[in-house]
Amino acid sequence: MTTKAKDTVEKPAPRTSQIFILGESPLVEEYAELCAARGYSVTIAWNNPPKIKSRFDTKLIKTSSTIPATVSVGMELTNTDLEAKKQNLKKLDNALPATAPILSSSITVSATEQASWIGQKHRLVGICAFPTFTDKPLVEVAPTVYSPKETLEVVTRFYTSLGKEIELVQDRIGMVLPRILCQLINESVFALQDDIATPRDIDTAMKLGANYPKGPLEWAELIGVRQVFAVLSAIQQDLNEDRYRVSPLLKQMAIAGEWWKS
Amino acid sequence: MIKHVGIVGAGTMGSGIAQVIALSKIDVALYDVNATLQRQGIERIQAELRRGIQKGKLKQEQMTEAMERIRLKTSISDLGHCDLVLEAVVEDLKVKKDLFRHLEQNSKPTTIFATNTSSLSITSIAAGLAKPDRVVGLHFFNPAHIMKLVEVIRGETTGEEVLQSSVEFITHLGKTPVLVKDIPGFIVNRIARPFYGEALRLAGEHVATIEQIDRITRSTGGFAMGPFELMDLIGIDVNLAVTQSMYDQNFGEPRYRPHPIQKRMVESGSLGKKTRRGFYSYEDLKTI
Repeated sequence: MTTKAKDTVEKPAPRTSQIFILGESPLVEEYAELCAARGYSVTIAWNNPPKIKSRFDTKLIKTSSTIPATVSVGMELTNTDLEAKKQNLKKLDNALPATAPILSSSITVSATEQASWIGQKHRLVGICAFPTFTDKPLVEVAPTVYSPKETLEVVTRFYTSLGKEIELVQDRIGMVLPRILCQLINESVFALQDDIATPRDIDTAMKLGANYPKGPLEWAELIGVRQVFAVLSAIQQDLNEDRYRVSPLLKQMAIAGEWWKS
Repeated sequence: MIKHVGIVGAGTMGSGIAQVIALSKIDVALYDVNATLQRQGIERIQAELRRGIQKGKLKQEQMTEAMERIRLKTSISDLGHCDLVLEAVVEDLKVKKDLFRHLEQNSKPTTIFATNTSSLSITSIAAGLAKPDRVVGLHFFNPAHIMKLVEVIRGETTGEEVLQSSVEFITHLGKTPVLVKDIPGFIVNRIARPFYGEALRLAGEHVATIEQIDRITRSTGGFAMGPFELMDLIGIDVNLAVTQSMYDQNFGEPRYRPHPIQKRMVESGSLGKKTRRGFYSYEDLKTI
């Protein structure tokens, strides 16, 4: 009688490994370009194709709706549409070999909750995927209660191959940077709502008075107000405290899809 | 046109602001109720200017001229000729109100009264004066000779001309003025609260360690310093005081609630770099 093999994942290697990335714009593009630049073969599928299509080198980045069984790493990069995220994860879990890890953005829904949606829970690890931060040298990674040591080692080696270091943090909605930054943006929008100063002066004040790399309002526009709103709403729901109520003006901007320029 | 400025309070901010003004070729009358502090203020300016020369940022002639423009005064009434008087005294509403009331007896009717307050209401400071429209907030940042931002705070009674002249004056100093409503925290002290507040919550909830939070905010976020090392630099007690002030002035708004971690650290004397221990240890720093 043979014993069942331990649930483990195998480490991917550039040039011999294929990455499949599902999710929303611009995270899909950011990770696709990052992996392709390091020599991985990349295939992507958007939940909704972006209005302005990226001009990928189609030798390096392919688009496909079917996930081949030759994929060694699956990525799910959706923050705003959790129904689509659930469907994507089920697709990845069904298609990928048991040895392939799934790296999934876990800033608006915990990695543990996501793992409860799929059969092979050991292979899913949460990552902090937040637009405009993909090119930074450090990534937050959140293992789940199901993650064995081997999965984490594979994820670490994957990020090393992408030229990045990781920080292992608790599997919590918002993680570290998105929570701090989005609450900063929330406070700025409350201030704007209170009409304390012009949007441009609020940004100038934080850059010149507190040495922030960007003004909070322009930062929200660069990241995407809908992404910021998704993180804040998820934190509000998770912690259920008045402290995390989202500025009504921020909610309106997320709905309008436009930022108030002045 | 502002040709003569009076500064009341020769502490860190008062002397720093006096230095900036003198370097931009405007005469400064520096007053402090305490003669020792007044002398120390002058010495601080001289030391800072000398440092500027050593770094090649300033010429000796500029320092000489600037020092000649700064006159020490021994009485409030000696500030009567000033076009603008800025106070950088203790953060006490009564002290500031009394100061301006006294000044009002000894100034030209057109003199602008500016306050460098960071936590008090400009409107409240102005209330009770014969001409409250002359009062404006000019909130400089530490160190005054480096930080380009000045928050120009419009009290409920501040006159339009006073605001206009203030903006022109700040621009002449080579600083960037931003107009702000008279609300607690103005812009910077208000919006900076979550940078520390959320970091403390994350550490308290064990989402990540203090070192991790600092590292992530720097390497991923691009901030020059992480929240904990920054609190150590500014002073954990200073940060707690500003946070407590925002919390109280907003009648317990939970977004500004201080954290038990910072209260415990202040109570145990761990204030940061100045006490050689804060969130990090600075035991190997030589004493100054």
